[in-house]
Amino acid sequence: MTFRSRRTGTALVVGAGLLALAACAPSSSSGDGGADGDSTTLTVWSWRVEDKAAYEKIFDAYEAKNPGVTVDFKPFKATEYNKILATGLAGSDGPDVPQVRSYGGLQTTVASGSLVPLDDAVDLSAWDENIVAGAKGKEDGKLYSVPLARQATVLFYDKKMFADNGIQVPTTWDQFMSVNDTLLGKGITPLAVGAKDDWTLPIVHEVLGASRFGGAAFQKSVQSGEKDFTDPDFVASVDVLKDLEKYMPKSVTGVAVTDAMTLFSSGKAAMYPGGSYDLAALQTANPEMDLGVFQVPPAPGAPSGSEATTAGWADGNFAVNAKSPRKEAATKLVQWMATPEFGQMVADDIKQISAVPGVTYSDPVLKDVAANLDANGSPYLLLTDFRYGSPSGTDLLGKGTQELFLGSKDAKTVSTELNEGVMTWFEPTS
Amino acid sequence: MNRRTGLLFVTPALALFGVFVLYPMVTSFSYAFYGWAGTARQGFVGLENFTALFTRAPFTTDLPRALWHNVLFFVGTMLVQNTIGLTVAFLLHRRARTRRALQTLYAMPYLVSPIVIGYLWTLLLSPTFGPVNTLLTKVGLESWALPWLGDPDTALWVVILVSVWQWIGFPVLLYGAALGGVPDELTEAARVDGASNGQAFRRVVLPLLVPAIGTVSVLTFIFAMEAFALPYAFGGSTGNPAGSTDFLSLLFYRTAFDSGSTDAIGTSSALATLLFLLIFGGAFGATAVLRRHEKGITG
Repeated sequence: MTFRSRRTGTALVVGAGLLALAACAPSSSSGDGGADGDSTTLTVWSWRVEDKAAYEKIFDAYEAKNPGVTVDFKPFKATEYNKILATGLAGSDGPDVPQVRSYGGLQTTVASGSLVPLDDAVDLSAWDENIVAGAKGKEDGKLYSVPLARQATVLFYDKKMFADNGIQVPTTWDQFMSVNDTLLGKGITPLAVGAKDDWTLPIVHEVLGASRFGGAAFQKSVQSGEKDFTDPDFVASVDVLKDLEKYMPKSVTGVAVTDAMTLFSSGKAAMYPGGSYDLAALQTANPEMDLGVFQVPPAPGAPSGSEATTAGWADGNFAVNAKSPRKEAATKLVQWMATPEFGQMVADDIKQISAVPGVTYSDPVLKDVAANLDANGSPYLLLTDFRYGSPSGTDLLGKGTQELFLGSKDAKTVSTELNEGVMTWFEPTS
Repeated sequence: MNRRTGLLFVTPALALFGVFVLYPMVTSFSYAFYGWAGTARQGFVGLENFTALFTRAPFTTDLPRALWHNVLFFVGTMLVQNTIGLTVAFLLHRRARTRRALQTLYAMPYLVSPIVIGYLWTLLLSPTFGPVNTLLTKVGLESWALPWLGDPDTALWVVILVSVWQWIGFPVLLYGAALGGVPDELTEAARVDGASNGQAFRRVVLPLLVPAIGTVSVLTFIFAMEAFALPYAFGGSTGNPAGSTDFLSLLFYRTAFDSGSTDAIGTSSALATLLFLLIFGGAFGATAVLRRHEKGITG
């Protein structure tokens, strides 16, 4: 028995260690991707399993207009997608048109030389530059993909609850604070925040504090190197979160974001700071709920000229695989994805805010968010500019905000640490 | 059976092992010594990826913290899981009729995926809707209704204790088998010579269990150093809140798959190599020590 158990032990030691190593080995695979006469089949990969039916409908429209072309939409599990795509693009059985990540998440794919530059194929000069930036290679500034959707940080509120309690949508900071106090006095949690999930906190910060640090103007000065995150206005915007903590659920760092959403959709909380991507889930959780959105007015001391803003970013792009044997047809499909026709279908069928300018929305909430973005949009700075290296800005502020709520760090320390972390790799443009 | 036939029989297994384990392992070991641009390999960089792990943010803060959590996980599991496991196995050993049924019951939780376990406990311990805190408040223990997973002081221990709860059946089974291997005559002889129950256990049974204790310890070490699924289910890949449930495997996962830097394959391979050396070295060293000790008993 001694002998056996010792042998098993050693075998397990070796096996376990080997697995740890094997886990990070990118594998390559081969397959044949020959063209087939007159008809062309284009494969599109995506991480949106939930949108399969909508995409099939959209591509049916494309197939109808382009006889001989079949588009095969193949979605994978979102959390596995990066690995699957890296493997597919490295081998020869990858997709013709892959959905790729935006901003920092795109750079690994670009650096691998897996994508075809599209500068000559599509003209996005009329589009929002912060959205197009998410589709470019950081290193060479070339366009490698066409943005699909725009997301925005949003403060959702329960219209009926506001009306029942005689509350108006606030337009000044004082009004916003008195809304919070009124709700708290009635035993309702004003702000449903789930601080256990660190990734949501930079979004919460953006919703509640963007107008305090100065939105788009601040981004410009950070990009040029004129300011950084130790700037008093940014520190104050982090402090805004600490000031508002009393309006969030008790023991907020123990509350998961799903709990926060449940508090909101079950009528126990009045407002939910999140993103436009939460809309579908909120509508499913409580179809009866009358949802509205508003922009948080600037907190006292905000830079002059700063107004309530909606922060946005590009979410997902479509690109052309450099190894595809059907590059011409693939490029044509991607060109179509930059047309208003495709953009309108994204809005109607996938129910996202399209990246194509001039699209109209039938959902009232989506319509308001898109209007806010167009009127007072600003970039979600930590995502659009500070995810090009490790540690990323969102990771640092997420963890820092948890420490702020736990009381182990103050706003100044959190901002300083965020700055130190990103400045290890960030280079201002000037 | 001669040597050649023997070789013939192990060839299929060896080939599979070579292709699916040895080859990826050796290649990923080699990846640690190259620069990377996405999935495209660049020039040889020597030990640069390894020095990055000790000099570059976020590794300078995250690596020592994650390692410390793995160590605490190991110590906690050893102290709680293996002690309780031995006690339970010993008590079960004397209940011949119900032993098997109870062993199975104790082993039940580890048939459930750690991801599911983590999710269920997250729901149970939620400060907003969780039944645990509601119950504590109802029975007047309001001060005990803590944000279990929201406070860095308790979150790590919740992860460790839930892991203990899930895996308790494992030492129970191993110790149960080992106790079955201790001949009854030995304890009976000791009792005849006037030893009490406790003395018989301490002086006769326990020394004979040393090999089993050794095996359990080595396996616990490997288990603790590789902890991934349960911490991931509790705190996500960043070890929420504020990195208090971060572990080495999570750091590896973040570096390899969640990072925005294009040289992620290089640094994550370096980290995987170090993790392998740590686990292999630790387990190998411990096994060597145990073997010498066993010789002392049996020889």
